[in-house]
Amino acid sequence: MLLSELKPGEYGIVKKIRGTGALHRRLLSMGLLPGAIVRVVRVSPLGDPVEYEIRGFFISLRKQEASFVDVDKVTPLSFIPRNSDVRVVFIDGGVGFVHNMGAMGIAVGKRLKIIAPCCPMQVKTEKGVFTLGRGMAYRVFVR
Amino acid sequence: MLVALAGNPNTGKSTIFNALTGMKQHVGNWPGVTVEKKEGETKIEGTLVKVVDLPGTYSLTAYTMEEIITRNFIIEEKPDVIVDIIDSSNLERNLYLLTELLELHSKIVVVLNMFDEAQKKYSIDVEKMSKILGLPVVTAVGIRGKGIDKLKEKILHGKFNPKRVEYPEDVEKRIDEIVNLIKPLKIEPARWYAIKILENDAEVHKKIAEMGGKSVLHRAEHLRHEIEDIYGDDIESLMTSFRYSFAHGLFHEVAEPINVGGVTITDMIDHVVTHKIFGLPIFLAIMYLSFQFVFLVAAPFQDAIDLIFNGKSTATGHIPGLVDLSYNWMLQFMPAWLSSFINHGMLRGLGAVLTFTPVIMLLFLILSFLEDSGYLARVAFLMDSIMKKMGLEGRGIIPLMLGFGCNVPAVMATRTLKDENERKLSIALNPLIPCGARIQVFAFLSGIFFPSNPALVLWSLLILSMVVVFVLGYIYSKTIFRGKSEPFVLELPPYRMPTIKGISIHMWEKSEGFLRKAGTIIVGAAAIIWIFAALPWGVKYGSPDSYIGMFAQWIAPIGTAFGLTPEAIISLIFGFFAKEVVIDVLYVLYGSKEAIFHAMTPIQAYSFMLFMLFYTPCVATLATIYNETKSKKFTLFVILEGFVLGALFSFAFYNLANLLGVGT
Repeated sequence: MLLSELKPGEYGIVKKIRGTGALHRRLLSMGLLPGAIVRVVRVSPLGDPVEYEIRGFFISLRKQEASFVDVDKVTPLSFIPRNSDVRVVFIDGGVGFVHNMGAMGIAVGKRLKIIAPCCPMQVKTEKGVFTLGRGMAYRVFVR
Repeated sequence: MLVALAGNPNTGKSTIFNALTGMKQHVGNWPGVTVEKKEGETKIEGTLVKVVDLPGTYSLTAYTMEEIITRNFIIEEKPDVIVDIIDSSNLERNLYLLTELLELHSKIVVVLNMFDEAQKKYSIDVEKMSKILGLPVVTAVGIRGKGIDKLKEKILHGKFNPKRVEYPEDVEKRIDEIVNLIKPLKIEPARWYAIKILENDAEVHKKIAEMGGKSVLHRAEHLRHEIEDIYGDDIESLMTSFRYSFAHGLFHEVAEPINVGGVTITDMIDHVVTHKIFGLPIFLAIMYLSFQFVFLVAAPFQDAIDLIFNGKSTATGHIPGLVDLSYNWMLQFMPAWLSSFINHGMLRGLGAVLTFTPVIMLLFLILSFLEDSGYLARVAFLMDSIMKKMGLEGRGIIPLMLGFGCNVPAVMATRTLKDENERKLSIALNPLIPCGARIQVFAFLSGIFFPSNPALVLWSLLILSMVVVFVLGYIYSKTIFRGKSEPFVLELPPYRMPTIKGISIHMWEKSEGFLRKAGTIIVGAAAIIWIFAALPWGVKYGSPDSYIGMFAQWIAPIGTAFGLTPEAIISLIFGFFAKEVVIDVLYVLYGSKEAIFHAMTPIQAYSFMLFMLFYTPCVATLATIYNETKSKKFTLFVILEGFVLGALFSFAFYNLANLLGVGT
């Protein structure tokens, strides 16, 4: 789906930046790259532009510009309600963090079952039941 | 020694620049463009260091003026050291620019600015960062002057052993091939050129083609397609991704997040000021209060300056001002015409320049506060969808609103627009907004000619001007000022408390620039107007016997087509000097309100006001427009635009009204 189709509060993981020239390059240098997580923050009172959070900072894009960005909708693990079954699509962190999560059976492609919702939350992985703090659960993205 | 400051926008670059150079700085433009260039000097351990503040950029592509200026400066001027100012609370994206700088230059001092703010977000291992990068890394809090001494020390004595940004093997192999191919061209830095050739960078492509490197470009195109095939994406996305993964990796190596997903103060403020319902009213209220503040606080100062120079006419007589006193004093040792020229011409002109100063200083006080605090970016966010219809970004609303106060600071305020084309468009529209002086004249005339409903007449003029500005903006943006459709990717920085030092430096720069440059033009114009109003020698100043009067009578037959009396024409000529003078001139020429009322029909009066609404901006505005654009052609265009619109509306109204027999 297109970045411009996400609603405030929703998250997306960037698949591809289409287009050419200045816009294409500007979006890229702002860090809108394949694999990056984007959150829709709010829409301007007049309906356009829209504020997005990316890599910890905030930018405003016109809808027409945001429609050059292909995304997949994802959700932070911390938002998932009790008893849901989800699949991990992205872990936002360095090598160390990814490794630590992996040790608990939380890695890209793995399925999780939410025992207790955030926060702290309890999840059941193939390696057992683990407790995750908000700081961790917020950086694991699932679908 | 030459040091260049580079960095993203909103990283506190100017604060560091100010801390380094103090008041010893010079502000100008980069050659050929309106992008601001700041230079300064400092002494470090006895070594004289020239510091250049490069424009704030997110990357070093060839797509914006700022980026091209930055990279060309580094390649051509070869600064001894580059200082990369990084907003450490926004580490990852700021490190991206560093990856691009690393390809251009080997001596880079990294400044982790706003370090105090960053420590609330993550803990940063500065030493590790320095070790990985092979560069000196200094922590700083620019607004408190922290870290500046350390920075100075590193500029002089830093050890540089920079890490190379490595691309995947498949890409490195091809970069090396291009490096070898361009060896005969002898261009440095070779690796940077090779990467840019591979990326199909427009500027570099042009340069290589001019140097006769067609075969290199041809080979590079082939190599580029190979990479695109291997990775299945376009080259720009790929190369940016590779560099970003370096920045991303470094970021996660050195920074440990502390507080993820918490609600920030910025978020809370934004929740209110960009609120669906309250956002726009809050914006209007902030603007209203700001401008009220500027014009209210400035008014007594302006009155005082006016009183000092021109004195005051009261019922009992005239209290002499500086101009009168100096005139009489000089009469003792020089002929009357010379004393009149010096005092009534130039000294009065100087007075006019000085009366603008309080407004300009206060206005830039407010504007710097709005900009430095981060609110201006929210204005852009709020107003974008309206303003983009007339080819401007959201911030374009501010100079337009300011125009209702005074066009001089409004034209200066177009500097908040970053795009060159949008700036010109905005400057071309601004004089069409009636300033306070014109509104004052309209109020005066409406009161005389339309006593039953003067407010309605005044509003009709204001609304007409807004419609014209909007329609013209739409047309201009589609024709003569059509932009390169620059994308509007706007950063919304966190709110920050502006510093008094930063604001006062900003305020001083603007006012000084106005006084020195525009001021000279205004005084000169005042002298010229004096010559035409006072000569031939012996006639009453500005009377129909003066050159201006003769000109008015000569042009009077044309004026009748618009319903303009010769006296009205004379007043318009003086209005070129300062619009509020129109009232005084009409008074002097006609003698009383009564006489003014009998000299024109209401239709003529309204036609006169329509003409005055648009015809040429005053001398001060023109001087400012020239000073901001440095283009005689553009300044002339603005004059012409005004006359055409003024003539068009007044002619159409006057003749249509007469044809329909309204008001006769």
